[in-house]
Amino acid sequence: MSLKKLTKDWRAMSYGFLDASAKRELRRKMIKAVAVPGCQMPYASREVPIARGWGTGGLQATLTLLNPRHVVKVIDQGDDDSVNAASIRQFLARVSGAETTLDTLEATLIQSRHRVPEEILREDQILVLQVPNPEPLRPVQPSMAIARQMHADADYGRLWLKLYEEIVRSGRIMQGAEYPALVNGRYVITPSPIPRWDVRKLHMARHLTLLPAGREKRIHAVPPFTRVEPLVFDDVPYKVEDHARVTCSRSGLKGFFMNEIPLDGGGTRYEISDSHLGAKALERAAGEAVRIGETWYKNGEMQ
Amino acid sequence: MAYVAARGGEKAIQQAERLYREQMGRIDRDRVAGIEAALPSLIDRVMGEASLYAPELAALALAQSGGDLYETLLLLRAWRTTQPRLGIAEPVLPDQTFTHRRISAAFKDIPGGQILGPTLDYSHRILATEVLEQGGMSPEPVTPADKPAPSRQPSLASWQKQQGLLAEVTREEVDKHDIPDVTREPLLFPAKRAHTLQSLARADTGGVLALGYAAMRGYGQAHPTVNELRLSQAELRVTHPKGTVFSAGRVKTSQAEMVSKLDADGKLPLGFCATFGWNEVKVIAGATLDLNSSTATSDSPMGEEFFLYHTEAVESSGFCIHFKLPHYVTFQSALDALRGARAEREKTPDASQAVREEEDA
Amino acid sequence: MITAQMFDAPRLVTQQPLMELSGVSKRYGSVEALRDVSARVYPGEVLGIVGESGSGKSTLLRMMNLEETPDIGDCSLNLPETKGNLFALSRYAARMLRAKKIGIVYQNPHLGLLMHNSSSGNVAERLLIAGERRFYVLREKARDALNASEFPLSRMDAPPIELSGGMQQRVQIAKAIALEPAVLLLDEPTTGLDVSVQALVLDTLKRLQRDRGITMVIVSHDLGVIRTMADRVMVMRRGKVVEEGLVDQVFQDPQHAYTQQLVHAKL
Repeated sequence: MSLKKLTKDWRAMSYGFLDASAKRELRRKMIKAVAVPGCQMPYASREVPIARGWGTGGLQATLTLLNPRHVVKVIDQGDDDSVNAASIRQFLARVSGAETTLDTLEATLIQSRHRVPEEILREDQILVLQVPNPEPLRPVQPSMAIARQMHADADYGRLWLKLYEEIVRSGRIMQGAEYPALVNGRYVITPSPIPRWDVRKLHMARHLTLLPAGREKRIHAVPPFTRVEPLVFDDVPYKVEDHARVTCSRSGLKGFFMNEIPLDGGGTRYEISDSHLGAKALERAAGEAVRIGETWYKNGEMQ
Repeated sequence: MAYVAARGGEKAIQQAERLYREQMGRIDRDRVAGIEAALPSLIDRVMGEASLYAPELAALALAQSGGDLYETLLLLRAWRTTQPRLGIAEPVLPDQTFTHRRISAAFKDIPGGQILGPTLDYSHRILATEVLEQGGMSPEPVTPADKPAPSRQPSLASWQKQQGLLAEVTREEVDKHDIPDVTREPLLFPAKRAHTLQSLARADTGGVLALGYAAMRGYGQAHPTVNELRLSQAELRVTHPKGTVFSAGRVKTSQAEMVSKLDADGKLPLGFCATFGWNEVKVIAGATLDLNSSTATSDSPMGEEFFLYHTEAVESSGFCIHFKLPHYVTFQSALDALRGARAEREKTPDASQAVREEEDA
Repeated sequence: MITAQMFDAPRLVTQQPLMELSGVSKRYGSVEALRDVSARVYPGEVLGIVGESGSGKSTLLRMMNLEETPDIGDCSLNLPETKGNLFALSRYAARMLRAKKIGIVYQNPHLGLLMHNSSSGNVAERLLIAGERRFYVLREKARDALNASEFPLSRMDAPPIELSGGMQQRVQIAKAIALEPAVLLLDEPTTGLDVSVQALVLDTLKRLQRDRGITMVIVSHDLGVIRTMADRVMVMRRGKVVEEGLVDQVFQDPQHAYTQQLVHAKL
């Protein structure tokens, strides 16, 4: 017996960067997360070659799922071409040989920071949302150990109270993005800081959503066809961002989540947040044959 | 301008990185060797926080990142985590290590003696400007002691245990393959003892110092005394596949034990911290945190969950710099809520008034 | 001045007890907090528990609130929705039962209130735990409970931290009665308040008891408070019940030497 027999030939990097034991850990915890929708599963989060807080959880999940047959799309704040999205997309292609795309319809695996694409996702697509803070109870209970017990007991009174207090103080619920939602009637999740506009897209969706938090070492999931209900009072309706009647100044699209761009001398213009949907609309206007998928919101309203 | 997916982002990040690397110039073997030879304390600190004992790789990472410590750590940690665990070394006991320095503040003299060893503790901190003026400074030769100190030193704690001064800790027999490994398992609270000590060993020196100092100043309940501080080299004894145990080399380690006043049961509570490399500040501060954690409330900065989470160098530094990333989607969402609330207020000046009016309606 | 004679005479205790603790013992390290204590609380009565600090009376009350479990002993509540030993309930079930059926007012308002939330929110939290999901119903019920506790409604959204001690106790009372509890537990509810404020808070409690017939257990080291509030009294010393009976009887004709000492020291 020799050391050579016991080990594989040395290579600078494993396929998909992560070693087999890291991927096994991720696979196991992803399965657990899918099996108990919305329940945060602790996992051994590894260091990856980007900084913690920059999508390391998302990256680990994507790297584990990735194979050369995948077509991968990376979004940051709705934009495929934002610098961090570009960096992650490059890295994924470099270590896996998978194809990359900007088009939601072509992608089989989508890693996103804080947006769900506007085109409806299908059964064969997986959405990996980067999660900075997986704990919806953090504002009312900073200790992870105690928060874990509270989840076990479905002890969400303090979280509801926070919503009550906001209405009393401000006349409305002040939660912007990261709106807490009850998954499958059991666990409250923070759906990563996607806007309220997007939380409704997760409800009874056809695709699988994985929500890994690399720095906090927790992963939770929303499996296909699972109830995702934002925490709202029966008599105070849930409000998405007031973007239904805003028009994108570049693509002319209307009724989608927008970025507000301040203008010199006051005033604002808007640009569609889902950058590639905007690009497709422009291409279509220029007479190109472009496929635009069905969207969750139609004329600014969700069905 | 057409709204096409120009890959401007990819080009921008490429050039930004080039701009950064330009200032460091060419990196080669000589530079790496120079860093390793000239900066042993820095190498030690980096190896401890990376939890990777590899002086040459630590020097390479320092060269590659231009000395940005957090970037250095991330390079090493990301490399380390992909390496297979080939074997598990035999446990190391303090009295078996090759001890270079070992002191106690609790007693004037201790069995085995106080061994000062290499230290800057009593040096005068005068900046050696003559190096710039006259072109160099060579270390004065060390005069060997008449009687060399024994290379192995007993542990003070074992004397204290004999005297009944220390609480007898029941040793849990664990197969070495079952020792919890915080680099391969999530850290949960209350933490496993192994996870606590491993996390402290790889914690950010600056972070441990800040919180340890808070404990020392009075935010902790225990007034610490250095029971034993030890810098040594430990033999890395591993089992060959054929079954023989052999030495694969030595690693530099530091360890500190901090004691407090007698507790209710008449025993000295003891805090412990050890790490790769020689890093005295870290182990003293770390052992002080360990000493205090048992009496801390769960929400206190002296509590284990607080200090272990917040001294994790890769996580804390990464999260800190992530705030540079665009946050305009979340900001937009918050802005929308703010404007909505303002519109409500314009309708009725007092928010709770509005609520009340709606109730009356 | 309020005296016991102003109120109904103690009800006859021939009914089934509403709450019963039996054979309860509890140790904290080397301290024996409770030694084989049994207690019965009858529907509609006010049971006083008196004793010096360290006698175990507050521990007993915390057990009635199911926030503490004994080493041995049982607790039962004679309600359609409860059966068996309540100490065996899961943390979740105990929390739900507490939210719906048991109210408590602590001496220290920091234990019972979120000091930086609104006062109405403190009351609403309890309703939220019990599952109420209508904002305007929460408001209405919180207002009703605060009103019943004689709390000034103009301050209903002020945080307790900005209120006086007496007002803080009224918020605690409102929180405790918001869901019409089967039993209201009072742990030194007026200790530390000015004498005049103390009388007003006791007055409110007495009125609630009279108007709503709420069963109460009140713990106090103050015999005056017990005499004012309680129908029956249990005297505790060093973790044991030394004497038990109707308030007038026990105070006029104490049997146990310790009770005699207590009564005479006070009078």
